Amino acid sequence: MSSYPLQCSVSNSDGTLLFLVVKSTILAFKQQKGEFEQAGRWTDTLFETDSQQDGVKKLKSNKGEAVKKADSPAVGSAFSLQIRNLTLTPDESKLIACADSDKSVLVFEIDYNNPECLKLVKRQPFPKRPNAIAIGDDGDTIAIADKFGDVHQMSISGQVLASGEESQPILGHVSMLTDIIMAKDSAGHRFVITSDRDEHIKISHYPQCFIVDKWLFGHKQFISSMCCPSWNSSLLFSAGGDDSIYAWDWKKGTQLSQFNYSGLIKPYLTNAHLAAERFQNDEKDVIEYAVSKVVSSSNAHCVAFFVEATKCIVLLDVCPETGSLTLMEIIEFPSNVVSLSEANDEFIVTLDTHSSGNGRLVEFVTREADTGLFKVNIPKCQTFEKALAAALKNENQVGSNATDLYPLYNTISLKKHGEHYS
Amino acid sequence: MKTKPLSQDPGSKRYAYRVNKEENRKELKHVKIDENSVAQKNGKLDLPKKKFYRQRAHSNPFSDHQLDYPASPDEMDWSKLYPHFYDQETGKMAKQVTIADIGCGFGGLMVDLSPEFPDELILGMEIRVQVTNYVEDRIIALRSNHAKEEGYQNINVLRGNAMKFLPNFFHKGQLSKMFFCFPDPHFKQRKHKARIITNTLLSEYAYVLKEGGVVYTITDVEDLHHWMVKHLEEHPLFERLSESWENEDKCVSIMRNATEEGKKVERKRGDKFVACFRRVQTPEII
Ligand SMILES: C[S@@+](CC[C@H](N)C(=O)[O-])C[C@H]1O[C@@H](n2cnc3c(N)ncnc32)[C@H](O)[C@@H]1O
Repeated sequence: MSSYPLQCSVSNSDGTLLFLVVKSTILAFKQQKGEFEQAGRWTDTLFETDSQQDGVKKLKSNKGEAVKKADSPAVGSAFSLQIRNLTLTPDESKLIACADSDKSVLVFEIDYNNPECLKLVKRQPFPKRPNAIAIGDDGDTIAIADKFGDVHQMSISGQVLASGEESQPILGHVSMLTDIIMAKDSAGHRFVITSDRDEHIKISHYPQCFIVDKWLFGHKQFISSMCCPSWNSSLLFSAGGDDSIYAWDWKKGTQLSQFNYSGLIKPYLTNAHLAAERFQNDEKDVIEYAVSKVVSSSNAHCVAFFVEATKCIVLLDVCPETGSLTLMEIIEFPSNVVSLSEANDEFIVTLDTHSSGNGRLVEFVTREADTGLFKVNIPKCQTFEKALAAALKNENQVGSNATDLYPLYNTISLKKHGEHYS
Repeated sequence: MKTKPLSQDPGSKRYAYRVNKEENRKELKHVKIDENSVAQKNGKLDLPKKKFYRQRAHSNPFSDHQLDYPASPDEMDWSKLYPHFYDQETGKMAKQVTIADIGCGFGGLMVDLSPEFPDELILGMEIRVQVTNYVEDRIIALRSNHAKEEGYQNINVLRGNAMKFLPNFFHKGQLSKMFFCFPDPHFKQRKHKARIITNTLLSEYAYVLKEGGVVYTITDVEDLHHWMVKHLEEHPLFERLSESWENEDKCVSIMRNATEEGKKVERKRGDKFVACFRRVQTPEII
């Protein structure tokens, strides 16, 4: 039987520690002398006491009118509860994650020498589900962007706040937030960059978040993902429901270039990309697709992205001076890509093997020093898969059926169809 | 069987009225109304009748409406809304909008502000379609009936969700006045985020307002008044204006009496709570 796919991953910068999520469990792996071994495991037990059924009910009662959305898998709903947004602090001493169960931010201390390397040191629930998080350059501030458009901040080291004691939001949109970045310009000024389900990217000063610096206008559809490369502090890439990846000089507020991927992605689209019945035309051939994630490479001047429910990632060359984007490579896999992350010029791709019935769950795409090209690192994938298989043997595999997989493919649900005419 | 609402029943009077007005609106909405164009048609245009534009009182600001808005302020074509202020030769607008009435309802405030600020462009923003149609028809009629003195050329309305899309229409520091007259109260606690003044939205209003610009608020709901005052006072970019300033400002007295909601409150002898705030200078960035 195929295993449930790994929903997200993060690795430390030298690639020796890797964290992955399967449903409500975080798995940690250590790499030593080319071999991987499991280094820890943490399961959110709130998921077990609050069964999924209860979780959905809870969504109903405290959201009132949003009941319909919780009932039917509509707009980015938390239909199945998960752990999301794995992020390492800049000094890599802590792992941050978000739990759907109680809409909390989790802080783990990483003890590299302990066989169970993850120690939960803080669990801070929020009134609304965190959709994206970013860590400030002080390594202690986390900015949390929620489903209802607000951004809250918390301190990793501070006390847990009781419900009702929560801080005021530091900024907000009247729209679902989809991503957040804490950035710094060359003069040392700090900013918070937020993207939403409407077409907005907003740049606010930090900590003076009440001063909006600017908006970046140009997207015609929702934005799902943004990233700033470490090798150029004024560059920003963004993508979502549009046919293009956008490159910006966010400091100047100018759009530098667009890379239209609609042609190259066509061969990878399937029936899964046909629009839902209610958005179909008479010919029943309306297709809908969106970029789920865009990430930049740490050193190489390159960004990678994938389109939801396709079996490839696309790598683009970035001209660091002009920000122009050109196709570098398309890397294909046997199954749909579920998540994409990067560390030290290596892309970590997790796959939904249900879509193909076989293959590996995780692929490492590494940059070859001599050619500068990216290739699947087969030996690494194979050694890792062994360690992963051993770790997953102990995991509860119930309910990895098709409806359970739904939340893996909900980026496109952010698309607006203008449901309200009045 | 469910009966259709009157507005969709082709036999109803409201339907006929709406179709007729819509044709008129399509024809006149974006044309330059001046003495010559009016002279060709005879007679005065009747002002629209509110009863034909009824619509549910509330519109959810969070929902995903079918809205038209420019991708950015640079892409907004204002010449269609204010043709008299469009310079054919340069292809540019002689003025830009500086006064905004947020949630303008039936437009009474703009109609009274128009002659007071002949050199400024005033825009009403309203989320409800039928109410926006009413204001458009009202402005068409006013412009036609005052073509000789070129009246009411400086006001217009846009259908839009001001809580989401204000920055799509206005540049940084473009506005000098923003009016929030009798905003929807959203009484229930969990609906407070739907209120049009919140600390996070105020940062966006502060962005489109120039330094020294003014936010005007008026409501008959005391609790909402305290809410708005609290949030504006807490916001570092706003500072309350004194009662004596309010008493001297002509917009305050217009705002008390001009809007449809204000008139309703007057008839019921309800209270009206006013609060005005200045957009202060942006502090040094730290
Ligand atoms: C109670 S009425 C007041 C109308 C008018 N200002 C007056 O005083 O007569 C509030 C108006 O705000 C509009 N409105 C509410 N939310 C809005 C939004 N987000 N954007 C634009 N208009 C909005 C409503 O449709 C309604 O017409």
